[in-house]
This record gives sequence, structure tokens and C-alpha cells, in this order.
Amino acid sequence: MNSFVLYLRRNRALLITAAVLLFVLLLAIRGMETQDWVVTLLRSLSVAAVTFLVASGFSLIFGLLDVLNLAQGTLFMIGAYVAWTVYIRPDTFIDILTPICFLVAGFVLLPLWDYFAGRLAGKKVLARLWPWAGLILAGALLFFSLRAYPVTIWDPGIYSQAPGTYSVFAGSGMLLIPPAETFGDRSAVLVLGGILLGSFLLAFSLAGLQNNRRAARGRTGLRLPWTYFVSFLVVLAAGLLVFLYNTSLTDAIVGLGSTWLFFISILVALLTGILLGSLIESSLIRPLYSRPIYQLMITLGLSAVGIELVRAIWGRPEFTMPKPEIFNGTGTGCPATSLADVFRYNCSTILFMDSRIRVYNEIFIPLVGIIVLVGIWILLQRTRIGMIIRAGVQDREMVEALGINVRRVFTFVFALGVGLAALGGALAGPSMGISTAMGESLLLNALIALAIGGLTSYPGAAVGSLLVGLMQQFIIKYGQIGIPLPFLDEPFKPTPPLVPASTVLLMVIILLVLPRGLLGRKE
Amino acid sequence: MVPLLEVRDVHTFIGQYHILQGVSLSVPRGGITALLGRNGAGKTTTLKTILGLTPPRQGEVLFAGQPIHEMRSFDIAALGIGFVPEQRAIFRDLSVEENLKIAERKRGDLRRKQEMIFGLFPDLQRLIHLPGTHLSGGQQQMLAIARALVADNRLLLIDEPSEGLAPVIIEQLILAIRQLSAETTILLVEQNFLVASQLAEDYVIIEEGRSVKTGKMSALIKDEQTIHRYLGAA
Repeated sequence: MNSFVLYLRRNRALLITAAVLLFVLLLAIRGMETQDWVVTLLRSLSVAAVTFLVASGFSLIFGLLDVLNLAQGTLFMIGAYVAWTVYIRPDTFIDILTPICFLVAGFVLLPLWDYFAGRLAGKKVLARLWPWAGLILAGALLFFSLRAYPVTIWDPGIYSQAPGTYSVFAGSGMLLIPPAETFGDRSAVLVLGGILLGSFLLAFSLAGLQNNRRAARGRTGLRLPWTYFVSFLVVLAAGLLVFLYNTSLTDAIVGLGSTWLFFISILVALLTGILLGSLIESSLIRPLYSRPIYQLMITLGLSAVGIELVRAIWGRPEFTMPKPEIFNGTGTGCPATSLADVFRYNCSTILFMDSRIRVYNEIFIPLVGIIVLVGIWILLQRTRIGMIIRAGVQDREMVEALGINVRRVFTFVFALGVGLAALGGALAGPSMGISTAMGESLLLNALIALAIGGLTSYPGAAVGSLLVGLMQQFIIKYGQIGIPLPFLDEPFKPTPPLVPASTVLLMVIILLVLPRGLLGRKE
Repeated sequence: MVPLLEVRDVHTFIGQYHILQGVSLSVPRGGITALLGRNGAGKTTTLKTILGLTPPRQGEVLFAGQPIHEMRSFDIAALGIGFVPEQRAIFRDLSVEENLKIAERKRGDLRRKQEMIFGLFPDLQRLIHLPGTHLSGGQQQMLAIARALVADNRLLLIDEPSEGLAPVIIEQLILAIRQLSAETTILLVEQNFLVASQLAEDYVIIEEGRSVKTGKMSALIKDEQTIHRYLGAA
């Protein structure tokens, strides 16, 4: 009892703020018809879930690594484009898989390269020069061999072969996968060997560069457990199998139907995010841990480079990602009146309290959001790595002093955070539409959500995202129906520019009352 | 016999500040060695340098004869060095149990050691599920020491254990640390000379980043001039 009173007293400002927010929400709801506020509430949940996927990764990364990953929005967008590719053009995805496997294979053996690079780094000038020479050679080798590898891809410049056109055809169920490219008179063995050799050389040169930077610190003997060789062989074998059974694999994956393809594409987006995240952390962020400003610049730069890269590959205009069959039924029995009907007829909408609710946007996305919320919560609270993360957020040095390699956990968290953002992008593809600009507004939303919730607090990210979603959607809805204000003749209709402004205003007000955000820690 | 820990003419920089300008000390196996000196003399930095948290730019650190000054800090700790930092630095968001569990280096470390730990600090057993925030200063200090005991450590680095604690609790701590020293070697940083003199057999005095005097504690107690000169009024 005593501790409860103490809790109330200590969190007085928080409780009052929460009460005021709740009161405002009730006020907003009272001004609407039932069907209006139910839909608005569900839409808020949808926005909140997508925001949360970006914000939670952001908060995990910032909490443990002290890195503000401004590329989070771009990685969100890349997630959407990757998911689109797997979903609409599985043939391209299968084609790319082999080179990627071969590229990754070289990096799996990184400890081996590290060891060799360490032994090579004897003579001063030579040791400093050879990694650069290796890098150039690897670049050239990869450039030519990757270009020679046949990938069936779209052409954003030609209307009939642009991504948007494929999207439209896929949406109407008339997608024709173009005939596969072939090696022609190029030697497949030479091309694949070139990629593998290039990957070896690249990994080796990078290891050499890193070794020079580290000087002579912490050189230990070769520790290369057999698991590394096994994973190397597995990755290589996977690449080879995909290469050998390319066409039958494409046929099989196309034959799965859009529902399965959709879930596969989401999974691939998540994995791509994880892979990209660990790559970015280990190559770009890690050398800059003692220089926060440079980190900020590099994530900002990455975000710009990412956008241009996506434009170069997928082209400029926006396009849509059709919803999979399971969320797109419109025939008999639709719109569904009960949950059972949703599953029986795969309805795209459901009738609830006289209003149409879109199953994908307003039920599936929030559901995934909740699953991720709970899943990460369990990871943080119930596993050893979660314990290390929570401890590291508070005091990294002490965790290291206990004999724990925090850097490895850093990579894990960064990869997870980016993976979540990419997952968010993949989910948002069908509901928000795909464009290179989709990441920017989301990044802003996520940052605001984090500031509201308290920067390093994981539950804070969830609460902040929810508030941002509610604020936006209610303002949008009131923009349509108007707020009757006592001293105005006409009801006040918030214009669209007020939507982003309103969330910023909310943030400002909350930060004025609670400078650390709703659930932020006192330091 | 090789001393358990040997620090040879170590220089450490933090940013551009030359904090340690030649610290040498050796900690014999068994017993307690006290690291004494005024505020800002470099005692905490010495501990952090040993652990590799602020790696030395020059000089050597040998642990059981093995050079460790070029190793990464988590590898150094894993050799068997436990750290009890100043101001406790327990993990406030973690429960008492998690604070202990996180220090495990092998599965089941805590289970093997819990009898010893709870024998030393019976309070902790009672508080096991409480979050770290809810502990009093003395309880936090006990938890911080207990955390360093979970893994098999051959050397404990304890920084200012008595700082800001009530006299009754300090007495309990002295008892616990003395009991510990029967099994592990301890390098103790302590402002409170009364506490240090009750515990340690050997001492090292640091002044402005340099080690200036070493010897037996029993001799130092009688040497009022040295105490006055390097440690202020005792």
C-alpha cells in the first residue's frame, strides 16, 4: 500500500498527463457517431502498428548503442521494395538469390580472413596498401561477374515493363512472368567462380583494413570452430541449388498463390533488414562508436544513398502492392458480418457497427504490431540476451566488465532494429502504397513517437506510436466532419497540413510537462 | 612466486588528459591490497586500466604472468577478474536475481555459488525478486559485490565500497570483505582510511597519477607523516 502511494506521488506528472490525454480522447470520441470513431480508432491502430515497428527498432538501437539511426525510414522503405519484388516478381528474387548466397559465403569465413590478414600485416607500407589493392580488384571482379550473371528484371524506363505495370497486372490477376534470361555464350562456371572469388577477396581486404585500424591490439590465435565451415558450405550449397533448379523453383513459388507468396515476401523483407542491419553495423557504425556526430552523418548519408539506389533500381513513380487473396475477397458473402465469414470468404472488408473495416489495414497490421510488441517484450524480459540488452542500456561498461562481449549484442540489436523497420515497410506496402518517399514521413512519426514515449523506453515506443496514430487519424476524421466550436459559426475543419503539425504539437506539450517523455528514465 | 597481478609503469589517457603517468603496483596472491590516494589521484582509472575499460597507452599489465593490457575488456574479465565499481552501478532495471544471473559465465554458476553468496549477504535472498531500483544503498553495495562473486573470479577489484553508507552497514561490509579475502585476492580502492587499514595487509599510494609508495599496512598505520602527506588527515 505504502509503495503504491509512493508510486503515485513519484509519477504524479505522468498520471495527470495520462488522465488529460484520456479525457481529450473521450471528448474526441463523444463528438463523433459510433461508426465513425470505431473506424478512426482502428485506423489509428494500423498507423500506430507501422510506426511502432520503426520506432521500436529505433528505440532498441538508441537505447543500447546510443546511435540515432536516421536511416531507419529508408530501411523501412527498402523493406517495402524488397517485399514487392518477392511478391510480384518471384523470378527476379530467385535469380538474385544465387549471387547473394555466393557473396555472403565469403563473409561467413571472416574469422579466417581476419587471421590471415593479421599474419600478413608485418611490413608497414605493404600492410597498409594491400587491402586497398585487394578492394579495387574485388570491386572490379564483382562488377564484371555480377553483371554477367543473368537476372530477369523489370525496366523502370519502359512503361510496359515498369514495376508499376507489373503491379497493376498482378492486382488484376493477369501477371505474366517474362521469360528467364540465360547465360547465352557466357560460361556459368566462370561467372559464379568470379563472384565467389570476388567475395573472398572483398572479405579478405576488409579484414585487412580493419586489422590496420586496430593496429596490434588483441591479436589472438586462429579460433575457427567447424560451425563456420559448415555454414559456409550450407550457404554455398544453397546458392548452387537455387542456381541449378532456378526455373523449377520459380515455377513452384509462383504456383504457391498470392497468400503464401505474400507471407514469404514479408519474411524475406525481415531477413533482408536483418542482413542489412548487421552489415551496416559491422562495417560503418562500429568504427565510429566514439564519434557520435559522424555516426549521425553516416546514417543520414546512408538514408540518402538508399533512396537514390532504390530509385535507380525500381524507378521513380509510386506503385501499389496488391493485397494477397486472403485479404482481398469481394465476392459472395462479402463484406463479412462475422469473423468466421472473413475466413470462409477471405473478405477484404468486414461490417462492424455499420461501418466497413478493411481486414488487412485495420485488423491484420495491428495484429502483427501486437505480436511483435509481445515477442520483443518476451525477448527482453525472459532471455539472457534480453537481460544483457536491458543492462547495457543502463551501463555498457559494467556489462563488459562482467566478461560479456557487448559488441556482439550491439550487432544483434542493430540487425533486429533494422529488420523490424523492414518488416514494417513490407506490411505497409499494400496499405500505404510504395514510393521512395514513404520512409521520410514515417521516420518523423517514429521520432515523435519516441520523444513522446521516452527515447530509450521500449514500452514508451509503443505508447508513443499509439498516441501519434490516434492524433493523426482523429485530426484527419475531424477534417472531414468538422469540430463544432462554441465561438465559431462554421465547424472548424482541420486542413491536411495540420495532421503532421498536430503530432508535433502533441510532442511539444508532452515534453513541456514531462521533459523525458511519458515513460523515459530519470538519469 | 609470480604476483597475481602486476602493473608496470602504466600511462593512461582519457581523451587528451594524461590521467595515469606511471603507475606500478603488484598484488600478491591472497589477501587484500589497498589502493590509497586523494580524490582524483587516479585510483579508479587504475582499476579501469587493469580491466581494459580505459586501455593504457604505455606500460604493461600482467595477470598471473600473462600480459593482458592489449586484450579486450570482456576477455580480460573472463580470465577471472571481478569488478565492483564505485557508486555500486548495479543494473536498476534488473531484479536482484537477474543482476546476479547476468554475471554467469557458465550455465549454473549462480546455482553453484548461491549458498556462499546468500551466506555472506542473507538480505539478498529475501530481496531476490525486487528490482534494483528498490534497494537501499547498502543493499546495492552488497548486490554489487555478490555479482562479482557469481563467476569464478581469482581477483576482485572493489572501488570505494564504503562510500555514502551508514557506519553499521560499513561494519557488515568489512566483515563480508574480510571473509571473502580468505578465498580470493582483492584489490581495494578506499577513501576511508579507517576501513582500508582494518582490511588490507598491503598498500599502494597513488598521487597525481603516479604510484609513490608501497608497503605493509601495519607499517603505514604507525607512519603518521606519510598518512598526513598523501592521504590528508587520517
